[in-house]
Amino acid sequence: MEKERIEKVKKHIRTEAALEAGQVLKKITDNFPDNPEGMKYFYDLLSRQFSEEILPKNGKKLIGTMCVQVPDELILAAGAKPVRVCSGSFPYDNAGAEFMPAKTCSMIKAIMGLFQVEDFREKFDMLVIPTTCDQKKKTTEILKDMGYEAYSLAMPSRKDDDNSRYYWQNSVKEFAADLMKKTGNKITKESLKKAFDLKNEARYEFRRLFKLRMKNPAVIYGKDAFLIANAYFTDDIESWTAALKKLNDELEKKVEEGFSVANAKVPRFLFTGSPPIFPNMKIPLLVEEAGGLIAIDEVCSSSRLLYDMPSYDEQGLYDMIPAIADCYLKPCTCPCFVPNEERKDKISNLIDMFNIDGVIYQAFSGCQLYEMEQKLIGNFLMKKGVPMLYIESDYSPEDTGQLSTRVEAFIESIKMKKKSSAAKKEENKKDKK
Amino acid sequence: MNKITKFVNNASIKRFRFWFQIVAFFIIIYGGYAAIEIGENLPTFACPYLDKPGGTCFLMGLQHRFTLPFDQFISFRGLAIITSILFFLAGFVFLNKAWCGYVCPIGTLQDWFTKIRQKLGIRYSNYSEKKFKKLKKIKYILLALLILIPLGIANSIPGVGKLSHDWGVPFCMVCPGRTVLPIFNGDFSQLTIDFSSKTKMVFTFLGMAVTGMFFAGAFYKKRFFCFFCPMSAFQFIFKKLGLLRLVKDGSKCTKCGDCYRACDMGIREIADDVENKDIVKDDCMMCFKCVAACPEEGCLKVNFLSKTIYKATEEGFYKRTK
Repeated sequence: MEKERIEKVKKHIRTEAALEAGQVLKKITDNFPDNPEGMKYFYDLLSRQFSEEILPKNGKKLIGTMCVQVPDELILAAGAKPVRVCSGSFPYDNAGAEFMPAKTCSMIKAIMGLFQVEDFREKFDMLVIPTTCDQKKKTTEILKDMGYEAYSLAMPSRKDDDNSRYYWQNSVKEFAADLMKKTGNKITKESLKKAFDLKNEARYEFRRLFKLRMKNPAVIYGKDAFLIANAYFTDDIESWTAALKKLNDELEKKVEEGFSVANAKVPRFLFTGSPPIFPNMKIPLLVEEAGGLIAIDEVCSSSRLLYDMPSYDEQGLYDMIPAIADCYLKPCTCPCFVPNEERKDKISNLIDMFNIDGVIYQAFSGCQLYEMEQKLIGNFLMKKGVPMLYIESDYSPEDTGQLSTRVEAFIESIKMKKKSSAAKKEENKKDKK
Repeated sequence: MNKITKFVNNASIKRFRFWFQIVAFFIIIYGGYAAIEIGENLPTFACPYLDKPGGTCFLMGLQHRFTLPFDQFISFRGLAIITSILFFLAGFVFLNKAWCGYVCPIGTLQDWFTKIRQKLGIRYSNYSEKKFKKLKKIKYILLALLILIPLGIANSIPGVGKLSHDWGVPFCMVCPGRTVLPIFNGDFSQLTIDFSSKTKMVFTFLGMAVTGMFFAGAFYKKRFFCFFCPMSAFQFIFKKLGLLRLVKDGSKCTKCGDCYRACDMGIREIADDVENKDIVKDDCMMCFKCVAACPEEGCLKVNFLSKTIYKATEEGFYKRTK
């Protein structure tokens, strides 16, 4: 009886999750005109994110990862497929809330819900979780307790000194050794070079998109850019790169034709804070439906994902693995690091590069690090003279109404500011004449 | 013009440097045979112990000139020190510290050792940065000694008296240039210990020991000897005069550390200093591998007379990593 009841509940949650994904996708595609042809691939992929078709069990080992700091070159080199399992689903978040503490962040709850409802013990051969924030750390242990093969990848909390650097390099080296044991495949310098090239090709296309997003008026919405990066979580790296290449070509052509999705008067935003992960596109959609444009973001589920590029000096595992390790530590702007001045620098640079009018800062309630760093970023932006909207939210759609009022007001205020500054410029020009 | 800059920025600096170094090596070691004489006060180890080098090392002359009684400082002999420094600078300004990275035969030799090690698939060794930082001060001590000891020969030190002439050219006695480079002339005579006097014995013994360390060190740590080189220390004093410059635009830096990894001398500031435009440190040999390893458009640049001749580009980065 009890078993049947549980199965019923699980089925219900699964249906709800699928429904939610479908609804969000519909919003993303139907509420916006002129979706690029090339986006179809990504929409389609996300509608079936963790399904059997996307993640088939055909002999290849599946390694689940959380956080951007897991060096997936190593996983690829070991002949396995890396899958980032960070979830943005509200039904799974609800399921996780059943057994996780009340103040856990939505993403952790959703991950735990996902792993509780779906029996992934057979599917994933290993779950790699870096010791980033406290919640991710403990997640590792709980997952282990649930019978998953969870692996804690030891990360230092500093990135600016050599001790931390060597500590991390050693931990990545150990990870490589454990991967070899797990998969039974040897990581050689040839296989690592191949994985390295594969990922660099993906990075190349990703940077092309990054540069295309600089265009003002814009050629692509922020919501689409989030989805592209989200698709990378579960997709095969080669097909993902090919699809993005196609999209980039299309966008480049559109730029030549003078096409744009928003005119130059539309306020341009930078999105930062806790990562929006499909289907939790709540805040980005609110912003873009209200007439704003997320020109660029600084989150680990999108622009931080593939921007930084490693380079090694000598072709040998002894230099390649530390080079890869460095690339995941040194430029990382995750708030789990102390000090994290680089995040301010990065945000500041992005604001200048992308002609940003305002910053949207999202923090999941319970995501302590982003909540706390909000103060620092806020103060910094105040000095820089860029307005910031701080939104504390979670995966539930309940607060959408209230949030949309705030977002709209923020966008309006920026539009006013833009108008008045444009008028001032005109006046100055006249005065000069 | 655009095509040329693009070609240069996409080029592999490693290959360019490899061939440049070979040419420079032959000119310095065998230049005399082809009647090439670049100058007497070269800011590089053009060793006078060679049969017919293409020039002469500045440090040897400097040691000779400082064998000078104090009362003769204001005289033509004293003036010679200044003129020699001026000649040194005349050569130095063109390449700045790139004399180390592109011309120095001792540096080139070490790079060849590194190449051999790489071919054999042997790993390099890591040293903790803090410990090494202290060791790196040795080059300044050597620089001070190579001036003070010759002064001690010409002037009486209270309690010791004048040093004997066996103390002459003290740095040359321990420099691997003296022991190693003549081998390329087929001359192994410097690889001996001179028992003619106690001082000579100690010096030649030290020279042999340094040579041993030079070979062993070069094999496991890139450019091992350069950390202790007094020439590098002396050049560093004048780096502001150099026409060739390495500059960084900190606002474009993501601190990814690719340049730090590429750096043979392990200079951390190249990655972590985003404040200063001029990031040439005393150990820098201006090999510009960092520029080639930088994926950020225009973050690192090589300027000659304030004109950019080579810079980091995204495209170049991809070309080189493939």
